[in-house]
Amino acid sequence: MQNLTYHAPGTVAEAVALMRADPAHSRYLAGGTDLYLALEHRLPDVHTVIDLKQIPELDGIGVGPGTAWRIGALTRMADIEHHPDLRARFPALCAAAAVVGGPPVRNRATLGGNLCNASPAADTATPLLALAATVSVADGDSEHSLPLAELARGPRETTLAPGAIVTAIGLPAPAPRSGNAFARLTRSAMDIALVNAAAAVVLDEDGRAESVTVALGAVGPTVILVSELDAALAGKPLDDEALDEVRAQAEAAARPIDDVRASAGYRAEMAGVLAARAVRDAAAMALGETR
Amino acid sequence: MTPPRKQALALTLNGASHEALVEPRTSLLTFLREQCGLTGTKRGCEEGECGACVVLLDGRPVTACLIFALEAQGRHVTTIEGLGTAQHLAPLQQAFLESGAAQCGFCIPGMLLSAHALLEHGGHPDEAAIRRAISGNLCRCTGYDRIVKAIRLAAEMEHGHP
Repeated sequence: MQNLTYHAPGTVAEAVALMRADPAHSRYLAGGTDLYLALEHRLPDVHTVIDLKQIPELDGIGVGPGTAWRIGALTRMADIEHHPDLRARFPALCAAAAVVGGPPVRNRATLGGNLCNASPAADTATPLLALAATVSVADGDSEHSLPLAELARGPRETTLAPGAIVTAIGLPAPAPRSGNAFARLTRSAMDIALVNAAAAVVLDEDGRAESVTVALGAVGPTVILVSELDAALAGKPLDDEALDEVRAQAEAAARPIDDVRASAGYRAEMAGVLAARAVRDAAAMALGETR
Repeated sequence: MTPPRKQALALTLNGASHEALVEPRTSLLTFLREQCGLTGTKRGCEEGECGACVVLLDGRPVTACLIFALEAQGRHVTTIEGLGTAQHLAPLQQAFLESGAAQCGFCIPGMLLSAHALLEHGGHPDEAAIRRAISGNLCRCTGYDRIVKAIRLAAEMEHGHP
């Protein structure tokens, strides 16, 4: 990290122009809680940092367009964790934001940064994937939206074009009789997740499953969705038998690696356990609305 | 190699306007300790894990080791030197003293600033809220109990008994 140049542009267009001048040696800076150490240890060729925190429209939580919730990409974890409207609707996301690092890190770390860092263990990516989030991407000329599932390509790698900036994360308003929940396993509170899981469920008027979506983190090169749960569970109550099905399918969907934190086999088994817990908690939330 | 080009930084540091030229790669931690001489902010893990370098940025606890000094442009930074003086301790510092909450002391500046941010909201945080607020500040000496008691005592000193 020698001879660094620091820019703090006030608009997305200026930021993109700065990045396009030398994309190979430049990085966007959001909260910096990942990037700062990366610059010291594994990005020796980066000599330009473009801080996005002076661009006002990238921060903040609100509704619209339509009924969807919009969370600015530079919104900090602490602001998500404590936001009453988000907690009421998207507790899975708030619970994930609440376990990223310690409080001083959560006062800096941003939602967009967590997603663009593209760690397979990114805690907020798992609930956002289960909640069918979209990301808004600006490249200075135009803005478009894509499903979150299309953002990460692999560890530390996104599909974003050079210069493109994630400006916001969109969340569809929760359906009636829906619920969502997050579950996570770590060695210690400050460590990254060994495995995490998030569930989003919608129940019908009789309290039976209409749809069940489960996402898993840290068990593949990107956060993944467990497919075909809907087919197995639609029309059924989310009872112990259904949770066994969730556990089996999640364990089968997991493609973990062995590393210093855990073996692949343990991760896969825990993916099943956490998935079942998340579905159980999400169903309880959905039932709470119908009572 | 050409020497790094310095960039201008203007911030409010412990309540006073402060201007400096800094090398862009300088962390807020290094800037405070080595350029401003404010060595109350401690250099610990330098990975955002231990909380020894916690300062308040616009009132919120942050790890100064993971922030470029230039990111503090136009912002308010409060270090432990801004909380009280040896002659006039802040209530929180007095409470730590009276409770025997400091042993080696290395974590205490960060601990005090995290606690200060908690008590700024007023009222009487319960033990769980206190422990949550200092969960980013590691202490290897005290076992935390006296620190938690001290923060409760400070809340009483500042806001009266619950």
